Amino acid sequence: MKVVTVGTGMASAEFVQRLRLEGFDGPITMVGDEDFPPYSPCVIPFYLAGEPLETVYWKGSDFYSRYGVSARLGDPVAEVDNERRQVITAGGRRESYDRLFYATGARSWYANPEWLETRGVFGFKTLTDMVAIDRYITENKVTRAVIFGGGFIGVDAALALWHRGLEITVVHRNTRLLSQMTDEDGGRFATEKLKEKTGIGIRLKTTVAGIISHHGQLTGVQFSDASSMETELLIVSVGVSPNSEPITGQDKGVAVSAQMLADPSIYCAGDVAITPHAVSGNDGIYATYPNAMLQARTAARHLLHGDGSYPGSINTNVLKKHIDFPIVSAGSFSGEAITWQQGDIWRRVYLKEGRINGYLIIGDTRMSGYVYQLYRSQKQVDKSIKAILSSPRHDSYYREMLGVGAA
Amino acid sequence: MKKVFVDYKKCLACKACETACAVEHHPSRNLFGALGDTKTQINVRVLGVEHEAFPLSCRHCDPADCLSACPSGAISRDLVSGAVLLNPDLCKACAMCAMVCPFDAIAFKQTHRARYGRDVAYKCDLCNDRIKAGGEPACVEACHSGALVYGEFDRIRHGRAVSGLKNYLLGQNDAMPPLVELFRELRRKECERRRGGA
Repeated sequence: MKVVTVGTGMASAEFVQRLRLEGFDGPITMVGDEDFPPYSPCVIPFYLAGEPLETVYWKGSDFYSRYGVSARLGDPVAEVDNERRQVITAGGRRESYDRLFYATGARSWYANPEWLETRGVFGFKTLTDMVAIDRYITENKVTRAVIFGGGFIGVDAALALWHRGLEITVVHRNTRLLSQMTDEDGGRFATEKLKEKTGIGIRLKTTVAGIISHHGQLTGVQFSDASSMETELLIVSVGVSPNSEPITGQDKGVAVSAQMLADPSIYCAGDVAITPHAVSGNDGIYATYPNAMLQARTAARHLLHGDGSYPGSINTNVLKKHIDFPIVSAGSFSGEAITWQQGDIWRRVYLKEGRINGYLIIGDTRMSGYVYQLYRSQKQVDKSIKAILSSPRHDSYYREMLGVGAA
Repeated sequence: MKKVFVDYKKCLACKACETACAVEHHPSRNLFGALGDTKTQINVRVLGVEHEAFPLSCRHCDPADCLSACPSGAISRDLVSGAVLLNPDLCKACAMCAMVCPFDAIAFKQTHRARYGRDVAYKCDLCNDRIKAGGEPACVEACHSGALVYGEFDRIRHGRAVSGLKNYLLGQNDAMPPLVELFRELRRKECERRRGGA
């Protein structure tokens, strides 16, 4: 049986590693648009912040040789022909398969893709982006950057470049940074604290309306409020869209079964797969690493043993990069809000029928694991949650276990 | 697979485990080197909960949520010892592990193993080198009250199930050493006094 993966990202690497570790000895080909061993997108901003490139290869830079993989790199897959069981690349190469693992992830979405033709404008999604930004900053001795888009990726970019010593301005159209992973109050708190701790400039309810260039070189940006700023570096991180066109013809993701099958011979996983939420049941793209891992393992197990099913995704996420100020969030922000705040720490849990529907833990991680487990298990917590959130010593789990009651 | 078992009723909160852990993981391997050093790494923490004390550290879960959540390849399992290990060279301190750890067993700071001038995650490594050489984790060796025991998971669990059943059916309690019993009684009273008084 010949296995082909479309994509060389985290899901594909985990899938291939699982197959090999469990003794699969058939041929495996990995087809990818970039020219690197599998790398961790979560880690690549640290390369830009000055840490060694080697550390982005989370499963080793010798991945392909170690796991006996034929790598076909630098040429994206343009079409999946599921009748002839072939993938066709943009360069016209064909690769036949018996089982396909489709995990192409997502790409940056641009409202003005033509901006990227100007020197100094970059996306912030791939290792190719990072290498290009790194070279550009070094060669042009860039000291200032504007980040357009203050979601997870935008803030990640801002903190990495801030750590590198650049003067940063983040431009975000919403009333707060990280508007998808926070509610209004939590997001405003996090935005204020990030500003206070880093000195990063933050312009809210603003967008980059246009770029100013000279002979194809970026010299500044024009904001929606008609003001402008000189800069040689603009990073656009306003959104992503899943790379599902080769398989569905649209960029809306790929629907999969509980066995991660999009078709009897095609598994699909990662940031392109539409899966149910483990708690709410709502279908969606839950683009975090732990979901992608579990999906890849579910697919590998099904391919090898014909059993197992995916239990659903969890939309937990945490942003803690370069500064010790974590922002943890999960679930959805509706229901009865219970809030606790002290100094740099802000915690809120949303309850629905006495169970956790969503939560935000900002400023420290110490109780986030316990709250995560309470959320996942959908335990009844209406009587205990106030004490849990305010417990000064974060010992609620141990109190429960030792049976000594709340503080 | 061997694990560290906690019998919290025997914990006297003397923190000998913390001290031994600090020395074991300090580059000087010396108490005076570890004292007052902000980079000193202590992977076990004695948590006082009312009149009880609990030496808290990584449980080396299997499957381990932290291991499945780490996106930088920093957390792995030693298949021989079963220890869940964290490689600080690969750790980016992104907190994905801490976000899912039910036991609050992962913390962050700039330790002696941090290579890039910033904080890293740190946690109990089960003293992997020691146990693979046939020894015990430093905390267990240092524990004189029997609160920490390093032993075969199945055997200890079986033993505890049997004594739990005896307790339930016959009312036979596990005998606690008299001094430990006395200490517990004093601590319970002191705790009550502080609650009522202060």
